[in-house]
Amino acid sequence: MPENSEKTLRNRRGLAARLLDFFVTANLAFLALDVFLAHSINAFAHPAEWIPFYFSLGASVLLALILFGKKRQWKEWCRFGVGWGAVCIGISGMFFHLGSEFFSDLTLKNLVYTAPFVAPLAFTGVGLLLIMNGMIHDTDLEWAQWVVFMAGFGWCGNFILSVFDHAQNGFFNPSEWLPVFTSAIAVGCLATLFFVPYQPAFFRFCAVVLGINFIVGIAGFFFHLTVDLQASGGTQIDKFLYGAPLFAPLLFPNLSLLALLGIWKMSTRN
Amino acid sequence: MMSFKSVFISVFLGAVLITVVLILNARRPATEVDQPSADFVRATGKCAECHRRETSAVVHQFERSEHAKHGVSCLDCHKAVEDQETQAHRSFTIAKQLTAKNCSECHTTEYTQFLRSRHAAPAWAAVLGAKDFTAEQIAFAEKYHKGAVERPPNPLAMAEGKSAIDVGCLGCHDIGKPNPDGSIGTCTACHARHSSSVALAREPETCGQCHMGPDHSQIEIYHESKHGVLYNAQKSEMNLKAPPKALTTADMTVPTCVTCHLSGLDGLNVTHDTTERLSYWLFAAISEKRPTYQQGQDAMKETCLKCHASSQVEVYYKEAEGVVADTNRKISEAVALMTSLREDGLLTETPFDEPIEFLYFDLWHYYGRTAKHGAFMGGADFVQWHGNYELLLKMTEMKKIARELRENAAKP
Repeated sequence: MPENSEKTLRNRRGLAARLLDFFVTANLAFLALDVFLAHSINAFAHPAEWIPFYFSLGASVLLALILFGKKRQWKEWCRFGVGWGAVCIGISGMFFHLGSEFFSDLTLKNLVYTAPFVAPLAFTGVGLLLIMNGMIHDTDLEWAQWVVFMAGFGWCGNFILSVFDHAQNGFFNPSEWLPVFTSAIAVGCLATLFFVPYQPAFFRFCAVVLGINFIVGIAGFFFHLTVDLQASGGTQIDKFLYGAPLFAPLLFPNLSLLALLGIWKMSTRN
Repeated sequence: MMSFKSVFISVFLGAVLITVVLILNARRPATEVDQPSADFVRATGKCAECHRRETSAVVHQFERSEHAKHGVSCLDCHKAVEDQETQAHRSFTIAKQLTAKNCSECHTTEYTQFLRSRHAAPAWAAVLGAKDFTAEQIAFAEKYHKGAVERPPNPLAMAEGKSAIDVGCLGCHDIGKPNPDGSIGTCTACHARHSSSVALAREPETCGQCHMGPDHSQIEIYHESKHGVLYNAQKSEMNLKAPPKALTTADMTVPTCVTCHLSGLDGLNVTHDTTERLSYWLFAAISEKRPTYQQGQDAMKETCLKCHASSQVEVYYKEAEGVVADTNRKISEAVALMTSLREDGLLTETPFDEPIEFLYFDLWHYYGRTAKHGAFMGGADFVQWHGNYELLLKMTEMKKIARELRENAAKP
């Protein structure tokens, strides 16, 4: 590539990078709602439980204003500030969740019903994506590899959460196994993708697997919605607070999109 | 062209993850997953997730209970049964109030035995009379305890007022409370709620929560008796948790209240009818033999014989019955005195408005009962100083007051 073209490329933030910024901003905004619901079950028993809520609320607004605004000089400060903040909140959140019953009594039962200790790592994931997007250009293969790598970790978490959430029901409805199976294959695909050489056909295979997971997630959302609406509850809010976690299945389409973004860039770069 | 190796690795990794999950899920205890509905599955762990923070003691109590060991979940007890009001509670539908009906879902025999006992309807009616019971409930209870439910409210309780009744009398007498779901009583009075403990019901102090004080001083008598002294000395060596139908004298070498009155010691029948092994109406002013006198006495003697020779048991019963007969004679004298005063117009018809009425009430209700209970429970001091001595003293005082009433009435 001629030097001037390379320079032009490096000075222009590509579509994939902007999509990733949008993905991170949207995820942080959604995390505010998700954390609010999750910690409402606990009635925000510990004051620290408000921190991720206010952080994700403030950070998403800040990112939306700065990253997609015109003031370029604040962009990097904002990106790295929010990014490292999210990383710290995710890790410290995991340690707070580690204080749950499971770690004082290591039983399968406590593992199933404990506070989800991997959930706060969602903050760490989006924080690292934000930082990475500021350090590596989206035309580099490394950018795509990191996106796929982070998406792979996200899918690992997604797999674990879908196992434990449905284990609380004892997989009472056999259809509850479906997201476990499809997310396991997605984890397998992304893990393989990271280590195998360029294979357009395998990219398409992964895209199909992720597409299936996308559909499973949307269907799961409607299943959970139906179950919650039919549940008994003092109020409508109670039904969603204590019923099937409404937004959890949306992690499937969310992470499918992230992984597809990485695969797309991986294929074009190759 | 797609490399098969990539597809194979992907599917292999996915299959490994799925296999791990299937193996872990299969290792979960059947009681956690083999339930009639998803709600019951969730109740095996979800309830504790919140209640460890909100009412943590109940979770620990439950975890140590036999119910927990046998895989009973929170919802097994807290689910609403027929005729119970429900409430939505954090995605579960539970009963608004738990009663003996919930326990009877599994412990039907125990509940039926309890219903026949004086702990059931007669306990509540002793304070508030028959008004809260249905005709069927009254008819059922009257079959076993004639006049104990179809009766007016207790005049003393009425004189003391609502707050004394609600917080005082019913604190114990609600063991026989009529519930809105048609059942009677609460099992938790003796077994506690989340502990649901057999051992607790075997503790003398559990009975002593209500069977104490001057009017029914069983716990004080027990602790004075040789039974009580031995129990307190040897309690740590006993197995109060032994299953009711397998209880032996090796588990409880010394009896508590429950051992003699209810337990299936060494193969005896277990019962929740507290009256089954009784032979006299000891609580009454004049104690008559119960209609089931002989069966009751035989059943109690069977328990006595687990520790005592029959000759000892016969002597013991003979002496106790002697105290009952003497106490009856002394109380009859007081009854006759009160009757004559009333017939002569020297007392009003209103109960508990004159000092001699309280003296008379104390005489039979406190000291008469104490002497008789002391005699049947091995409490010598309660037969003598807390019983007969007081009977003599109060009778003397009653006679003095009666004499004064007559003298005052004779004055022009």
